[in-house]
Amino acid sequence: MWILLPVAGMSIQLPVLVGVGALVGFLSGMFGVSGGFLLTPILMMIGIPPTVAAASDSCQIVAGSSSGAAAHFRLGNVDLKIGSVLLLGGLAGAAVGVRIIKVLRAMGSADFAITVTYVVVLGTIGGYMFFESLQNLRRGALVPKSRRPTAEQGLLSRLPFQMNFPLSQVRHSVFVPFALGGAVGILAAIMGVGGGFIMLPMMVYLLRMPMHKAVGTSLFQILFTSAGVTFLQATTNHTVDLMLAILLAAGSTIGAQIGARISRLLRGDQLKILLATVVLVVMVKMALGLLMTPTLQITPAGGH
Amino acid sequence: MKPCGLLLLTLPLLLFSLFTQAAAALEPAKLKITPSTVELGTFYGGARMHIAGMAGAGCKVIVVVRGPSATEVFNKLGRVGPLWVNTGKVTISAAPSLLLIFSSEPVNTFLISAAIDRYQLNLGSLKKHIQIETKAPDRDRVADDFLAFKAHQGTYRIIPHSVQIGAPDQGGLPYNLDFEMPRAATPGKYQVSVLECPNGEVTDKSDVDLEVVEVGFPALISRLAKERASLYGIISILIAMVAGFGIDFIVFHIFKRKAAAH
Repeated sequence: MWILLPVAGMSIQLPVLVGVGALVGFLSGMFGVSGGFLLTPILMMIGIPPTVAAASDSCQIVAGSSSGAAAHFRLGNVDLKIGSVLLLGGLAGAAVGVRIIKVLRAMGSADFAITVTYVVVLGTIGGYMFFESLQNLRRGALVPKSRRPTAEQGLLSRLPFQMNFPLSQVRHSVFVPFALGGAVGILAAIMGVGGGFIMLPMMVYLLRMPMHKAVGTSLFQILFTSAGVTFLQATTNHTVDLMLAILLAAGSTIGAQIGARISRLLRGDQLKILLATVVLVVMVKMALGLLMTPTLQITPAGGH
Repeated sequence: MKPCGLLLLTLPLLLFSLFTQAAAALEPAKLKITPSTVELGTFYGGARMHIAGMAGAGCKVIVVVRGPSATEVFNKLGRVGPLWVNTGKVTISAAPSLLLIFSSEPVNTFLISAAIDRYQLNLGSLKKHIQIETKAPDRDRVADDFLAFKAHQGTYRIIPHSVQIGAPDQGGLPYNLDFEMPRAATPGKYQVSVLECPNGEVTDKSDVDLEVVEVGFPALISRLAKERASLYGIISILIAMVAGFGIDFIVFHIFKRKAAAH
């Protein structure tokens, strides 16, 4: 069955859109990522104009993250306290990131910077998570994981405004999650994505949050940032295709529920290694895109 | 003048006018397209179109469906060291949004190249007319890539042997064409032209307009997105949130009921 996407200006098979939404929603519910870094390229591959793909993607992320965040909230996985601080930092960082990208565009090197940032960030995060989780899995359950603070954490613990985050069982200066949210916000604005796949490892490795709490809290934060981006895209670029977003959301909301439930069956390290694999696959695909000679040397403008 | 005299003068004129109109109605149409309007509704996935008419005896027939001219912006990929990245923008204008060329035989077998160029009847001749704004030195490559992109999209197509010519009738040649309006057709006023080519030249050209319009839900979404952007943004977010929380609510209650049953 064909369906017309009025803002994209094209028709597409209904099951394709719902299926793509379900796949990305599944990853979203399972790993606490928005899936934007995966969905936009997939939509572009099936012929959606990049500007419409990016804008509608953020609208469907609102649906997927609402569903996933609600499911995780019920499971007690959303730390509202630390999530709110991260969100504030993220919004401040995004504002700075938008300015940085403006300067880079004026210099004419924005696209180069974005693509290289993508590959470096994805490669670093994916590689680190993969090998760390692999080591933990090899050690097995026999060796208890150390929660002893490292030298950096010792330094961070001397910062002012220390605060307890009981749900995540961590104690940090309020500046730490705020700065972390800010740093991810800058990267997310430069890369043009929700930032969940950067935020999640940061929450686990730097804030020492348990994996499941990090997933739920990340979804809570993504819900607000993606709603903001959707509004901005609708009012500035007029590129949000509601029909496209609804159909993707129909798949992603169900996928997110399944993902959230399956994540409960897996150990934290197993979840991390799966997410790392997805991140590394996307990084390799992007790296190949940078190195291989393209068939056409023009691509429709817009998008991330 | 007396009213009776006026009546005697106008009656023959009236009768003559009625007669000529009736004769014109009986004469086979040069070009008729069905449907005359393509409606882009929710489930639009292309539309079956039919064109029929009468061409002059001994003519070859070409049918051209041309969309309104549009300006499109592209990223230009270039090599920076070992990497392929965007190196600038390319703006292409004076190119139709859609171009379908149907003919009874391959155009280059019966038409001189000057006529092909004049009427833009192949991609090579279209390439000469499109306007390209770019800082890139290889404009020719940009034009080729643009045409390849449109062909891949299905919006630029040249289909020979698609126009069916019938047996001569009433001193003319009846022709028929069935084709599928592409899924990527955008709203606007399209022009359908029939070119009659008897001796390597185009001797007659008939045009008719084809309207492509959005109707129903897609029309509502397009209008809201363009004219009430803030409202549209808020509605989009609310619908997405209701969908997300709604699905969570439904799934939670299904699982709860199942758990209670066990």
